[in-house]
Amino acid sequence: MMDSLQETELKLFIDSVRRYFQVITKQEPQITSAFLGTGDVEGHDFNGIVTFSGSYNGHVIVSMPPQLVRELLLLQGETDLSEGNLLDAVGEVANTLGGNARKTLGAGLHISVPVKLHGSSGIRARVRKHPYVITLRWNHQPALVCVDMERRH
Amino acid sequence: MNPNPKARPMRLLIVDDSNMIRSRISRVVQNGGLANVSLVGLARNGAEAVRIARATQPEVVTMDLTMPEMDGVQCIGELLRLLPKINILVVSALSDKSTAIAALKLGARGFVAKPFSDDDLRMALLDVMEAR
Repeated sequence: MMDSLQETELKLFIDSVRRYFQVITKQEPQITSAFLGTGDVEGHDFNGIVTFSGSYNGHVIVSMPPQLVRELLLLQGETDLSEGNLLDAVGEVANTLGGNARKTLGAGLHISVPVKLHGSSGIRARVRKHPYVITLRWNHQPALVCVDMERRH
Repeated sequence: MNPNPKARPMRLLIVDDSNMIRSRISRVVQNGGLANVSLVGLARNGAEAVRIARATQPEVVTMDLTMPEMDGVQCIGELLRLLPKINILVVSALSDKSTAIAALKLGARGFVAKPFSDDDLRMALLDVMEAR
């Protein structure tokens, strides 16, 4: 048996996104929308996906354009801005948001190592009916976090 | 003359499946006032960490938990069997209290939650090194 998470529970991911940017860049992102969407999610070119198992089922997807990932890397002193490193970075953001969710959802939430996808169409196939979609802007760059998860009984 | 063993640089191994995190920790160590640390290896998973540790005998390790091949929990056990005096600082996104406590019970000396600032990491590393 599966139970959908309430929008209020899923808002923990908004706090995690805010905190991620605040700690790494010293500048909070602007959350432009947060809503229960349809499966038709338009992502960006660089995508990191972490799968949930254990007491929950589903995944979190972080989707960013290359300019934003490059800026995140540069701010951390990274000079290797190759495609592989951009994918690694967006995967690590997904890993951080997924891992941080355990603070609220409990240690029964297990997370996978991140899968990385290049190309905006890649995430559409991963998203089920009603994901929770957070769109944001940081330093004039858009990004998207898509949370698609259910509680197991 | 008898060299003071405390003055010898501590050998550090960085273990994380993300290149971004390995590079960042390495930069904090090299540019962030931790002059008494010598980086001896970078590992992408637990199995690689054990191989590098056998060859380089690190004294301090930063350890991710969620990694492919061999995860951080298993790797902590392997490293402590291999090098019982090793000081392990867990650096993980699994930021719930029970994970931190479990890591400390396994034998880690400290825990830093991702995302972390350079100062968070520097202070935690100094604490762990002082525990030597």
